[in-house]
Amino acid sequence: MASRTASKDIITLRGSAAIVSEFFGYAANSILYNRGVYPEESFAKVKKYGLPMLLSQDEGVKSFISSLTSQLSEWLEAGKLQRIVLVIMSKASGEVLERWNFNIETDSEVVVKGVAREKSDKEIMREIQAIMRQVASSITYLPCLDEPCVFDVLAYTDKDVAVPFTWIESDAKLIKNPQMVKLHSFDTKIHKVDTLVSYKNDEWDEE
Amino acid sequence: MSEQQCPGSVPPSMDPEAEFMASEQQTANDWELFKENIRPLKRGRNVQLLNHALRSHSQPSLKRSLLHTRRRFIDAIDEYEGEDPLQPWLDCIKWVQESFPTGGECSGLLVIYEQCVRTFWHDERYKDDLRYLKVWMEYAENCSDAEVIYRFLEANEIGQSHSIYYCTYALLMESKNKLKKADEIFNLGIARKAKPLEKLEADYRKFLARSTRKKNIEDESVELENHMPVRSFGTVLAAAGVRNHAAENSDIPRKRMKLQRLDTNRPLSIYSERSTEGNSKPEVMRNNERAWHTLANQVDRNKENTSVPSKWTSYKVPQKIASRTVLPTPSTRIEVFVDEECAGLPPVEEVKSVDPSILQLRQGNSVNLKRETELLKENPLRNFPLNHLR
Repeated sequence: MASRTASKDIITLRGSAAIVSEFFGYAANSILYNRGVYPEESFAKVKKYGLPMLLSQDEGVKSFISSLTSQLSEWLEAGKLQRIVLVIMSKASGEVLERWNFNIETDSEVVVKGVAREKSDKEIMREIQAIMRQVASSITYLPCLDEPCVFDVLAYTDKDVAVPFTWIESDAKLIKNPQMVKLHSFDTKIHKVDTLVSYKNDEWDEE
Repeated sequence: MSEQQCPGSVPPSMDPEAEFMASEQQTANDWELFKENIRPLKRGRNVQLLNHALRSHSQPSLKRSLLHTRRRFIDAIDEYEGEDPLQPWLDCIKWVQESFPTGGECSGLLVIYEQCVRTFWHDERYKDDLRYLKVWMEYAENCSDAEVIYRFLEANEIGQSHSIYYCTYALLMESKNKLKKADEIFNLGIARKAKPLEKLEADYRKFLARSTRKKNIEDESVELENHMPVRSFGTVLAAAGVRNHAAENSDIPRKRMKLQRLDTNRPLSIYSERSTEGNSKPEVMRNNERAWHTLANQVDRNKENTSVPSKWTSYKVPQKIASRTVLPTPSTRIEVFVDEECAGLPPVEEVKSVDPSILQLRQGNSVNLKRETELLKENPLRNFPLNHLR
């Protein structure tokens, strides 16, 4: 076998932004699939990160996510994106049931000076794989989403970012007294992404 | 569609998620390592408790403290003097679910469910209580055939004002392919204006869509069906009615049925050569099973666990003539290994009492709990007076 110390690959700001926004696209699809927001049959399997990943074939979802990821890429390259949250809400009541947080820390030196970093691509892929696996296994503790749900995406950016055309300003859509679970993180050496899922505790006396 | 957080309105203090994210706290990943051992709960779990529980089960010292806490919860039930005696039961159940993630027989979960429902079934103030109904329904989920429980609830007018009763009952009937009955149940719930009515009506519409689709497919494939002998391997029994489903739009009931298909509560039907005399349809197999269970009594079923060691007479070991070792005297007995958890407990008294309020849980050791759990799974209403069963 080849030696464990894999050769490092050069990572640029643009490349890192692409990795992170692509990750978010796949993560969002995985969440929508695993939480049953869209029916299973509307997803197709592809190979990514060494895992069978599911992508929605619904046109609405596809176009939403692809325009989303290109916007994220832009913000990431400018180093302006702080957090991305995928919110799952009850279709009937609009109540927020789950929030999937992706926190982003950007190496500002890279943004300012335009330097590149080094890290093995394989290593990054392994880290992303670990997160994806956790997302899929999280049914062990997440409450069953019994009702039809819808999703939305919130982006937390720096103050000086102008609101793009297809986005609107919003409140935080937080969950009251949430249960929170930290998942694994991944790091491209330019952007570090931490994952956290917060969910509502289902109680005995709720319909 | 997309929304962006307004930069100006971010409060100076971080929201709880950002705080947690920034904090040094890590969520342990025991839950991921042991994910196959965790029974998902509809209500979700507290991950910190879950991780702690998983760790406890692999360390005997922590396990003892777990048993102590359980006894405390049971004492709390006995000592409660307030207006809502159901509450300490709910606290206890919730704790047991969190602390015994596998939910298996040694958790005593089934026994607690059963004692809880038996304590209050004649209590007027809980007849319409949603929490009480949920305890019944969680109990039903764990039994091999929940239908008898739903019929009992109807006969005793428990939980009849809640949609969730009708939805779940109808889903159960649908999974058994008793579509006409499922339809009746939905209509009954709607006629009684169960709450929340919108959910009941929505589920009913989905059910109708599924059953008309199924009927169309069945009409086409009914010829094929009759000619092929059916070999059922346990889990197919539950899914007999679901097999013909084409792609569904509503995946939620299907997901639930999927869970039922993987349900370990249903005893595996073991393929027996002798029973297939040309007629191997699922119904016949199931009848055989039921017949088998009523024939054998408790003693028979438990014979592997309770048989007394006897002299080994079937084989002869050739003995060396030369030397003769002194045989141990019959009075020397081998010391039986006792699990630490049982060592501290007092000997169990097999008092079969008529009073349903006596908690046998406190005196229970793991053997008793296991036996009781098995019995309850098969016959959830076995401790109830017969004249109230229909």
